[in-house]
Amino acid sequence: MDKVRLLLTLITIAIVVVPIVGMVLAYQGNLLGLFIPPEINEIADDLTGGDGDNGSGLEAPTMVGEPTYDEATRTFSVSFQYKNTFHLDITIKSLTGNIECDEHRFPLGNASLSKPVSIDAGETGTLTVLGTWTEEAIDHFENMHAGEEMVDVVLVDFAVDISGIQLQMDQGQMEQSMQVPNPAP
Amino acid sequence: MNSILTKFNWFGLAGGATTILLIVVSLVSPWWQLTVGDDLVKVAASPVNMNMGFLGTSFTIPFIWALNMVSILTLLASGIAMLVYSVIPRKSYSKHLLGFGYKKPLFTVLFFVIGLVATTMICQAILNFNVPLMGSTTSTLPIPFVSGITLTVLLSAGFQWTFGLAIVAAGLCIAARLYHGKVAAVPSV
Repeated sequence: MDKVRLLLTLITIAIVVVPIVGMVLAYQGNLLGLFIPPEINEIADDLTGGDGDNGSGLEAPTMVGEPTYDEATRTFSVSFQYKNTFHLDITIKSLTGNIECDEHRFPLGNASLSKPVSIDAGETGTLTVLGTWTEEAIDHFENMHAGEEMVDVVLVDFAVDISGIQLQMDQGQMEQSMQVPNPAP
Repeated sequence: MNSILTKFNWFGLAGGATTILLIVVSLVSPWWQLTVGDDLVKVAASPVNMNMGFLGTSFTIPFIWALNMVSILTLLASGIAMLVYSVIPRKSYSKHLLGFGYKKPLFTVLFFVIGLVATTMICQAILNFNVPLMGSTTSTLPIPFVSGITLTVLLSAGFQWTFGLAIVAAGLCIAARLYHGKVAAVPSV
């Protein structure tokens, strides 16, 4: 009976000690690796040191095609291409922000994503941003940019929802430059 | 009829079998799951298997994997001990087998819940980041070394059916301990 008790006690000790000691021995040359697997470093590298334009693993959107403008609704449309550098499919559900004149920092209106865009891992998707000029913006274009066919503007204070994660940039934190057709050339 | 009921410890048989079944299903189905956003971050946790996914990359922490092995072996030993005890409940060493086996599923459930609660409290206290144990919540994540950007995420968490199975296994094993009095009281023929 005592042998059974002793055997069960030994089994209990072995069950706890063997896996933990085995793992510690396996990682004795790299104890940090016990808690931080190599995948974590790969993710950190992807986010901070990848092949992205800005020195990180994140690609900045690039403007593609010709922007269009509808005079009746005072709405312009600009398309961007964005490469999903992550290892999973993402959906850009929404994007909103304010538009300012790049030269004069005059508020011109607001912009938003035309529709949610799903981009598979490693693929490139096209985002179409729609913006509406205010009355004051039209006046600004008439007075300050007369004769210019295209005007440099920036998208500021924007908020983006990527697959349920919402990023809100505070004032002056991040800008996306673009060229839009002058509504009052 | 009465002799069949008392020849074996049926609760022990059921508890041992459920404990071994629990190990198998827990390898593929977590006890508790947390998702951030639309599966951008995923934590599938059980004492038997802990898996994390971040931006599509799955990984396991080696030390936690070792603890998972401890849990697997503990539950396996408990299940086998309960099964062996249950078919020979009146042997002189049977009570040792019962004593060895019946508490382990309960302790596994308790340690798992305590670990989860402690982890969520640590997240709240140190990172000021609210992780729900059950249900959904919206939390604002701190971004180290970056100011002016607010990251808000939807977190959804919940216990899965396997956690219920773990409670059933623990309950059956405790019932086996309580039933042992009736089984052991009948003199061996």
